[in-house]
Amino acid sequence: MAEQEYLMGNEAMGRGAIEAGVKVVAGYPGTPASEVLEYVSKYPDVHAEWCINEKVALEICMGASLCNVRSMAVMKHNGTNVALDFMMHLNYTGVRGGLVLISGDDPAGISSQNEEDSRIITRLDAHLPVFDPWCPQEAKDMVKAAFDLSEEMELCFVVRPVARVCHGRSMVSLEEIKKGGESHFEDDRSRFIMSALMEVKDGAALNRPVVRHRWLNQKQAVLAKVMEESPFNHIEDGEGKIGLVACGIGYAFVKEAEKILGKKFPVLKLGTLPLPRNKVLQFAKKMDRLVVYEDSEAVVEGILKQLFYDEGLKVEVVGRSGFLPSEGELSATIAVKSLVELYPELEKKMPATVPLEMKVPIRTRTQCVGCQYRGLLHALKLTARKYKGVVTGDIGCYDAGSFPPLELQSTIYCMGSSIPMASGIAHSGYDRPVFAIIGDSTFFHNGVLGLLNAIHSGVDLVAIVCDNRTTAMTGFQPHPGSEINVRGEPAPAIDVARLATAAGATSARVVNPYDIPQCKEALEKAVKEKGVSVIVATMPCYLVARRTGELGFTPRKVVLDEERCNGCKICVTFFGCPAIHFSEGKATIDYGTCVECGMCVEVCKRGAITWS
Amino acid sequence: MELNILIAGVGGQGNLFASSILAEYVLKKGYKVFAVETIGAAQRGGSVVSHLRISDAEIYSPLILAGKVDILMGFETIEMLRNFELLAGDGIYLLNDYKEPTVLCNMEMDAYPSDEEIRAALKKSGKKGYIIKATECARKIGGSLLTNVVMVGALCQVSSPFDSQEVKQVLAGKSPARAKEQNLQAFDAGGSLIQEAMRKA
Repeated sequence: MAEQEYLMGNEAMGRGAIEAGVKVVAGYPGTPASEVLEYVSKYPDVHAEWCINEKVALEICMGASLCNVRSMAVMKHNGTNVALDFMMHLNYTGVRGGLVLISGDDPAGISSQNEEDSRIITRLDAHLPVFDPWCPQEAKDMVKAAFDLSEEMELCFVVRPVARVCHGRSMVSLEEIKKGGESHFEDDRSRFIMSALMEVKDGAALNRPVVRHRWLNQKQAVLAKVMEESPFNHIEDGEGKIGLVACGIGYAFVKEAEKILGKKFPVLKLGTLPLPRNKVLQFAKKMDRLVVYEDSEAVVEGILKQLFYDEGLKVEVVGRSGFLPSEGELSATIAVKSLVELYPELEKKMPATVPLEMKVPIRTRTQCVGCQYRGLLHALKLTARKYKGVVTGDIGCYDAGSFPPLELQSTIYCMGSSIPMASGIAHSGYDRPVFAIIGDSTFFHNGVLGLLNAIHSGVDLVAIVCDNRTTAMTGFQPHPGSEINVRGEPAPAIDVARLATAAGATSARVVNPYDIPQCKEALEKAVKEKGVSVIVATMPCYLVARRTGELGFTPRKVVLDEERCNGCKICVTFFGCPAIHFSEGKATIDYGTCVECGMCVEVCKRGAITWS
Repeated sequence: MELNILIAGVGGQGNLFASSILAEYVLKKGYKVFAVETIGAAQRGGSVVSHLRISDAEIYSPLILAGKVDILMGFETIEMLRNFELLAGDGIYLLNDYKEPTVLCNMEMDAYPSDEEIRAALKKSGKKGYIIKATECARKIGGSLLTNVVMVGALCQVSSPFDSQEVKQVLAGKSPARAKEQNLQAFDAGGSLIQEAMRKA
């Protein structure tokens, strides 16, 4: 038996790349895919790099591929959008060294701002081949196969795991590690110059984009043949004329449903795009109806309808366009319910559930106890209220400031949109101050462009950069403002305040986010200035600092004087530290969770909270 | 044999460590394991749910089906209640009597259910289960971070195929040197707590 290890899906994909001899791995952190790059960074022969954003990561990988070495770009679905511009050219040029793009999707948006299905942009838009794994072992096998095929077909291959595959843990077989190739570069301007340029092709004058688009289209026929033979697609016989098309994680849920219901259904297991056309037709011809289980859009369902229309095949196809829920993530429970709907006699096999007869409060996200941003957000809230200003938000931990009790930021979209949106509000003629709040990693990712644009446009706004030296939201990955790289080795850190100053910001004040009066003072000054005023709130993330000892405060016990507390609740309903509870008209400190940052001493206007 | 364990808690309670000790033990015993956590935003005080599926046959879904949870471990009270519906008819719950108020509860916009309400609802459900003060016990030993180990110690007394002495060895092997002694102490304390709860029940 081959050696096995208990790995999470992301680690399994990292291992797959290592076994395939990958040499350059670049990405941007994002749940659910972050651990892939962290895993490969443990191998010293691999260049592993957290990049400024996903587009840069994919471009780095293509550079390596040009030199005939294997490379892998790692990102989450939102990031794949950022990389799309480059992808829409890389698909035309093709690759040299195997290039695999891992795009982790998050159906149900458990850790995301949307629940986009990145098969749409990678397959239907860029026409790249896509593998959709159902479990960690298959995810690893797909990454390995993708490297070989990428090189053979000269195309970037996409592996699109959903979060449950990325985070799933099971035993995974380990195989031999292949040695990566040596770097050598050869020019081929006919491929790697993507520009509007007339050339003679097959006796006709054609523009370069048309020539390369034709090349990509011609590749599809070869791809179709490869997918026909792929081990990632297969047919399972079963009872009845309703065929279950199980795509990616859908296979896990369909197989589980078979176990629960004690019935073997006809199953077409699919893991590739393009689809294995002949296999699909062979299966579909025996069926009256197909139910497509896929996360999270009706992608395969649509392709099947198109194929059957072209083939004149009368078979009903249902799935996530209506028969199954069109939003949220698929589950075995959904699969079982759908099959009981089709086979009512199976209802008795459905596991019974008994709802608990009580209302359970929801749990909203908030800043951690001890988070420095609670102080900064408090100061910003006081200032924004005073001037009736608007605060635009961005992606990162500090986004919890938009939820109760802070309810500070008025917008959250995607990485880097805070400063441009604030500019738009100001340019619309809005006559109150506008603030944009953005994290450090998000600032480098895309926010810096919005800042430069704002400065050049002559807008008046205050941009606050929450600089905790790490990408805290996704698990403390370094970014260009960090003093270390993914391996913890020293790296040049880019200083946000100096960068803003060099770009022509009116001011760039560095504050300690734990120091509420200092933050308030900086905001008061900035709000009265013309142009773009930048405030950089600098302090290592509390969760990191408590380990390294670089705390931004001197821990000291705080005490609450019950006599002085008048029950105004500013500490819980305005400031909102989870270590302060409220009962019977008085605040109390929960010493089990309090970390003694003492910011509440400043917040309590009655002087009821004091240092002990 | 199939055993589905669901661990419900809040960010920072160490679901993953608990799940990985149990997984390592059953893998050594030759069972198949498929596990998954909800991770990400959970770090910021959100709900964390770990699914741990153990079987001697192939496991397909990393998520446990509604109505198929054999053991529901609640590291935090309302997080367990939130997932209670997933419990199988003959499943048992194991609740740490510890309450982490939500932001909305602190603001008095929501009410954290009272002990009376909780006990009444649990009783009405007809499900078998035990309530132990694992966090209180963990704090006495060395800190609330040991809650997960206390709970694992308790679990090993109520469910096969876990053998307390053998799981304890796995725990010792997986513990960093500085935490080993306290972990082992917390594990034993969990076993004593549940035995006491069983005697009372």
